[in-house]
Amino acid sequence: MNGPYLSAALGVCWRYLHNLYTRPSMFIPSLVFPLFFLAAFAGGLSVVGDAPNFGYYDFTAFQFCFILIQASTLAGVFAGFSIASDFEQGMGRRMMMATAHRSSIVLGYTLGAAARLAVTWTVVTGAALLGGMEVAGGGLDLAGIYSIALLSNIAALLFAAGIALRFRSIQAGPLMQLPVFIILFLAPVYVPQELLTGWIEPTASVNPITALLNAARSLMAGEPTGVLTAFVVVLGMIALMAVWALSGMRKAETAG
Amino acid sequence: MTMTMGEDNSIEAEGLVREFKNGPRAVDGIDLRVEPGEIYGFLGPNGAGKSTTVLMLTTLLPPTAGRASVGGFDVVEQGPEVRSVIGAALQEAALDPHLTAREHMRLQTALQGLPHDERKSRGDELIDRVGLSEAADRKVGGYSGGMKRRLDLALALVHRPRVLFLDEPTTGLDPQSRTSLWDEVSGLAAEQGVTVFLTTQYLEEADQLADRVGIINDGRIVAEGTPAELKSEIGRPSVEISTRDEARREEAAALLSRFGSPIPTGRGAVEVRLDHGIDDLGGIVREFDAAGIELASLVLNEPTLDDVFLAKTGRHLEGEGAEEAGEGES
Repeated sequence: MNGPYLSAALGVCWRYLHNLYTRPSMFIPSLVFPLFFLAAFAGGLSVVGDAPNFGYYDFTAFQFCFILIQASTLAGVFAGFSIASDFEQGMGRRMMMATAHRSSIVLGYTLGAAARLAVTWTVVTGAALLGGMEVAGGGLDLAGIYSIALLSNIAALLFAAGIALRFRSIQAGPLMQLPVFIILFLAPVYVPQELLTGWIEPTASVNPITALLNAARSLMAGEPTGVLTAFVVVLGMIALMAVWALSGMRKAETAG
Repeated sequence: MTMTMGEDNSIEAEGLVREFKNGPRAVDGIDLRVEPGEIYGFLGPNGAGKSTTVLMLTTLLPPTAGRASVGGFDVVEQGPEVRSVIGAALQEAALDPHLTAREHMRLQTALQGLPHDERKSRGDELIDRVGLSEAADRKVGGYSGGMKRRLDLALALVHRPRVLFLDEPTTGLDPQSRTSLWDEVSGLAAEQGVTVFLTTQYLEEADQLADRVGIINDGRIVAEGTPAELKSEIGRPSVEISTRDEARREEAAALLSRFGSPIPTGRGAVEVRLDHGIDDLGGIVREFDAAGIELASLVLNEPTLDDVFLAKTGRHLEGEGAEEAGEGES
């Protein structure tokens, strides 16, 4: 990765963050969304934590892990919206024209999507702590949780970028958001995986998000299990989605 | 920037084709060569294939067939190298309404990979050069069309390109902004040796600005040369008269036909293509004087690029009738 390549990526990243944080209409919904889920799940559904065999030490912490991964993942998707919008309105063409290596554009949005997590995480974590969340894990465990969230953000951004670069229209927004939303909610969101029954149980067992969620919850509890598997899964998703995003860039180049 | 020895600032295309799925051939086998430091005007109506050609030459669209090189680099095989030596201001100025001009410069200098210590000074220099210093910290969303075009041009120059592509840069601009942009483009070619590939549907623009003009119609180049060469191909000027006394119109037509071949005109006047060019003008005035036919008007029409376009394609360039009607009057 040479100087001009990184320079171009940082330029794309800077503009993305600049526009995000100077336009409340773009920024605030992405914060309200996880806060709403946190209030609804951790607050409104807290009685679920009293269910027999629930077996987790704190329902707010249990839900926080999901909300953190969900917020991080959707932050990646929202960055995909920006890519689609930029290509629809001509800025994509400016970037394609000005950068020697166009994969730097995807890297720029990836950095931007990751950087925006700093604010999202601060707000969501702050709200959860204010809501009485107990953190049983140590510093390294927490680093593990946030690393999983960061990597899921990157995977989601690359997925959304692949869609955005193929369609180059904000009308493709639902195609970016819906699959991610569905896969998130087909994981054990409200109760541990062991308590799932019916069709959701086998679905959740093959859902890659389940591995991330279980690992994050185990780290939060200070009893890490399946963490290596979670990292292998999320890194595999990133590798797959990187190929998807870069082939999307080829499509965009061919379309002109 | 001045051009240094050994730098290839040329543009070449051989048999360049772009065919869209389920559509016509937007570009249908274009051959052209633009010499270093030349301003090449690519003239044609809407949909002729001008912008598609530019998209291919700027590596934004791969050709379906044929080959092209810009600055000595192949547009398909050496895209990154091509992009490093070209600047482009495309038809729709792709600007972010939420950024200021200065922020656009910051973005563009980063995208082009300019050294950090050079970015601010280069941005300020270009903003000043296109006369946007006072508006530099205003969001571009509030700019006029002319200001956006000037900023777009400045952004295209950030990395000191050797070849500049301007796709209909003055469309929608007021005459003052248009003239100002022409001056800037002329200066780039004359003083800095930048090769300019300019698409336009304005005859006047091609006539005044371009060293050479290629006329494109239905994806093919139908004529190419300097504006003077193209006009001389069409030949001699014409003279158009109208009489004060409408009843003597036929008599005037007969008299005028002695000086050349009649041209259809729908304006209640009579017009002939002069056999001996402008030299006939004195004789015409004397003949009418001698015949006692009073003239309401006498207009000498020099051949225009629209005449060239008409001769080559059988139709006028869209939207140029009014503009051209006033040209060449004497």
